[in-house]
Amino acid sequence: MITVSDLSKRFGRTTAVDHLSFEVRPGTVTGFLGPNGSGKSTTMRCMLGLDRPDTGGASFDGRAYRQLSSPLHEVGALLDAGYVHPGRSGRNHLRWLAASNGLPKARVDEVLDLVGLRSVGGRRVKTYSLGMRQRLGLAGVLLGDPHTVVLDEPANGLDPEGIRWIRDVLVHLASQGRTVLVSSHLLSEMAQMVNDLVVIGQGRLIEQCSVPEFVERHADRWVRVKSPGVAALVGAATGQGAQASMIDATTAELRGITTVEVGELAARSGIVLHELSPQTGSLEDAFLQATATAQEFAAQPVVAS
Amino acid sequence: MIDTIRSEWIKLRTVRMNLILFILAVAFPVIVSVLVAALADVTDLKASDIAGLVTGSSVVTALLLGVVGAVSISAEFAHGTIRPTFAATPKRGRVLIAKAVVIAVFAAVAEALVVLFCFAVSSAIAKSRGVPVSLSGDHEARAALIGIVVFAVIVSLLGFGLGMVIRNTPAAVAILILWPLVVENIIFAILSAAGVDNPQKFLPYISGFGLGNPNAATSDSLGRVAGGLYFAAVTAVVALAGAVVTARRDA
Repeated sequence: MITVSDLSKRFGRTTAVDHLSFEVRPGTVTGFLGPNGSGKSTTMRCMLGLDRPDTGGASFDGRAYRQLSSPLHEVGALLDAGYVHPGRSGRNHLRWLAASNGLPKARVDEVLDLVGLRSVGGRRVKTYSLGMRQRLGLAGVLLGDPHTVVLDEPANGLDPEGIRWIRDVLVHLASQGRTVLVSSHLLSEMAQMVNDLVVIGQGRLIEQCSVPEFVERHADRWVRVKSPGVAALVGAATGQGAQASMIDATTAELRGITTVEVGELAARSGIVLHELSPQTGSLEDAFLQATATAQEFAAQPVVAS
Repeated sequence: MIDTIRSEWIKLRTVRMNLILFILAVAFPVIVSVLVAALADVTDLKASDIAGLVTGSSVVTALLLGVVGAVSISAEFAHGTIRPTFAATPKRGRVLIAKAVVIAVFAAVAEALVVLFCFAVSSAIAKSRGVPVSLSGDHEARAALIGIVVFAVIVSLLGFGLGMVIRNTPAAVAILILWPLVVENIIFAILSAAGVDNPQKFLPYISGFGLGNPNAATSDSLGRVAGGLYFAAVTAVVALAGAVVTARRDA
């Protein structure tokens, strides 16, 4: 269980994190979502005692990170796969990490096996691809067999196979009852692995809920109807307060009305229906919608002319 | 604490750059001592001359060990490894002390090996040329040989301190090397021109050189012990400032 309460962090005059509070439950993967620059990394650095918060703080099972005597046994964190000395081999990178928390050398080879880097462990990190560095970072996270895992954008720069691998590892870790918090600025990347969401924008909490709840609250919903008598149907629907937009001569999209209501309207008016289906916007749309007002650098939509 | 020291020792010896610096640091005084002992005019060679030769040429070793000290922390900032370091050991003071211990011991051992080897080789060469030299009875020569090891330890910690304060490898190394070679010489010239007597007494690095000078007692400097203490005190101030800054700032 991770508890973040009233966390604030300012850099000069910029407020990176603004009185942020949320909880992360064990046994599930929690997605930490926000647009770029929304304060996810700063929050994670504050959680790990690397940055000093101006207010509030975080605790892991009730204890602040700085109070942990051998943190790698309790919290495995990967902030940036680039935090390695390029001239050191992957194995030696893990060896100093392991030694700092009294972990045996044999554990290093175990985690190298786990992430599939055993054969290249002796190579200097500067020869590693980005995907290999992410795997090395994850090996460091797993070193102490921690019950809490915190990852900042672990899928960044990975190919689809790598993203899938990370997803499988995290889901597996959560299924063993561990607490897993993983940040991303892409919801689509996480949709298939997270159960819970913590969504922030401009350092403030926008929503903490499950994925279905999030979609429920923020996703766009409408009814798609196809009929030779679509004009009459649209007329009847707008008469009941729905908004309509025509897609083509026989197809319309209706908002503010349910499929049941449209079906009954059609039956009453004797209109033949070729299609009647509920539509839901994607998770990505829901996320963009929720964070639209909190984008630090909002781009203008590209309008096709 | 032992775990943290082991971790820092692994870091120090698993970077190729440190190995290259170590080889340079050893090779230079060895080559110079051998060449001078073999080629110098040896009509009247004393133990203190050999000691002066050895300590003089191994000042370079000390400066290179200072570079190792500076890079041991500045590279952590450059590559971001300071973050996983402090995440693995949240007690930052413990990390910094472990680093200081590893650097100081490494510098002491490296410098002592260099000094012993150089002195043994150059006195053997001198002996083969018919000029036997002996340390027994030459207190000043012995003190200088030990003093240069102490000097190397202080310089390595000064480098570490500068690395913590400046956080930038080229800048920290430049200040470490240019301070004695350029800055203090300029200050020396200015003070001399201003009519100050024995201005080297005010200059910490030049005073520190007295540690390895077999003739420190007879020169105009502060002398071996006082000069060494002055240099050590300045180093302690730099290192403490660096430690406070590193412990307080966001990593």
